[in-house]
Amino acid sequence: MPCEVSVVEIATYKNDVWGREVLLGVSWELLWLVIVVPFVFIALHAIFQASRRKKEKPSSGGERVRRHDGVDRLFHWVMAASVFVLLITGVFPIIGINFSWLTIHWVAGIVLTLAVVFHIVRSLFWQDLKSMWIAPSDLRELSDTTRKPGKYSLAQKGMHATVAILTLMVIISGLILFAMIDTPWWDRSNALTEATLGMMFFLHGVATLALIALICLHIYFGLRPEKLFYTRSMISGWISRDELAANHDPKRWAPDKSV
Amino acid sequence: MASYDVMPDVQLYQPAEMDDALELADRFGRDGWILGGGQDTYGWLKDRAKHPKAMIDLNGIEALRGVRKSDDGIEIGAVTTLREIIRNETVNAEYELLALAAGRVASPQIRNVGTLGGNLSQDARCWYYRRGLACYRAGGNICYADSPQGMNREHAVFGASRCVAVSPSDTAIAMVALDATMVVQSVDGERLVPAERFFVGPATHITKMTSMRPGEILTAVRIPSTWAGARFYFEKVADRDVWDFALVSIAAAMQVDNGTIGDSRIVCGGVACTPHRLRDAEKALAGKSLSDETAEFVAPLASRGAKPLNYNHFKLPLLESLLRRAVRG
Repeated sequence: MPCEVSVVEIATYKNDVWGREVLLGVSWELLWLVIVVPFVFIALHAIFQASRRKKEKPSSGGERVRRHDGVDRLFHWVMAASVFVLLITGVFPIIGINFSWLTIHWVAGIVLTLAVVFHIVRSLFWQDLKSMWIAPSDLRELSDTTRKPGKYSLAQKGMHATVAILTLMVIISGLILFAMIDTPWWDRSNALTEATLGMMFFLHGVATLALIALICLHIYFGLRPEKLFYTRSMISGWISRDELAANHDPKRWAPDKSV
Repeated sequence: MASYDVMPDVQLYQPAEMDDALELADRFGRDGWILGGGQDTYGWLKDRAKHPKAMIDLNGIEALRGVRKSDDGIEIGAVTTLREIIRNETVNAEYELLALAAGRVASPQIRNVGTLGGNLSQDARCWYYRRGLACYRAGGNICYADSPQGMNREHAVFGASRCVAVSPSDTAIAMVALDATMVVQSVDGERLVPAERFFVGPATHITKMTSMRPGEILTAVRIPSTWAGARFYFEKVADRDVWDFALVSIAAAMQVDNGTIGDSRIVCGGVACTPHRLRDAEKALAGKSLSDETAEFVAPLASRGAKPLNYNHFKLPLLESLLRRAVRG
């Protein structure tokens, strides 16, 4: 007796005006997958961590050192707010919560784009780009758990690199789709072929789905007790000398600014 | 796209009680098709452009039929035919606007079987969409009508958001002008939706024309007495006098006292994705007299903010002209 296996499609297709099959976009049936899978991972990770012996938590008192400048914190939260607005306005109508979303969506998209452009320029000319770059030596953190990272751990660098790629993907495809709608600056254009449009919707959708999964993980790790000081530093800018010594290698990151 | 003489294989349910209809609507959800007179339905199904699994025919439910007086106005059952509305004494005496609008729907044959609920809930008449192309409204990512080569003579000049199809219902603009309330039922209970919010544009929901959710049934329309006996004006301009949709139409309800206009509600059809209220004109008319001078004064307000497409600039002077005719002495 044949066994039927239900497979979730990654993409959806349609027939164009000539009857040819063209890409329509990502399959939004994947939405449940990108929510369920991170939450299963989170649950397993939380159980695993709870079963381990607790390390002594470094003190948050005493001397403080600066981890994030004010402008970088502002960028982070502006980006977070714009991403949340984009997700709500982009995904809610798909799951059946209907409202006039398009204008809010593209305004938030412009905010995100400007924030990312600012971040790229700042990181190229005013920040230590290498501190976020994944170097071959960072990979030793995978096998040697006693090895402490510099300013950012391999996991943080990996998360940043992945989010950066996905955000650029969603921004570039979003800007191309932006040209297809009415704005105060131009009237909508139907200049793209249906196949190109479909590819843009697909890339936009895939990046969105991946970002949803990553944001779930990012929030989880940001709220874990042993990582909470990183979240505090993204609000207040500082970590304590104890937290620095417990989590970072002073040879690889020695912040000189005390707060 | 093939078109067939025969109906596709679809399960037909003909409930006699409202509870049964609601249960069926709930059971089938998006796969259920609520059937009134069928004048919008059969084309979709024969063209194989929509594929419901079940058709729920409401015509056997007596409670959904007829015009009833209520404490504050009238209530019209959703499967009341347009012909019944046109001939109803109360409607003609107090809410003539609705009778005028219903009288301009399609053809006598269609009005004999077409229902109020069906006319209000009917889908967009953009031929690209009706042809079965995967446009925005059909869940795609392009509008064929709004392209350099697109034929958009009948399409929207207001409120387009990617899709440029217009609301095709003649009775819809009368309902908005009369400040009606839609009674929407589901197994979860009753929802009252003001007519103005019943119709939704593509910015809110690009694949639907109304705020109805799967599993819900429009059961009645309540018209308050607020506008009973007001001065009404209805006019529809179409390419043909019979069996055609509005290029531009207007439904106006005005409280007039000694020739002076008080409150008014003026709504246009064929120009936007939903019934389009001329709010600027309504404000400008307050306190003015019904006269040719007033008509000339407010007419330009009708087309304010319009964004015509390649082939429908003609709708702007037409719209102004209809407003002029609605308010002249």
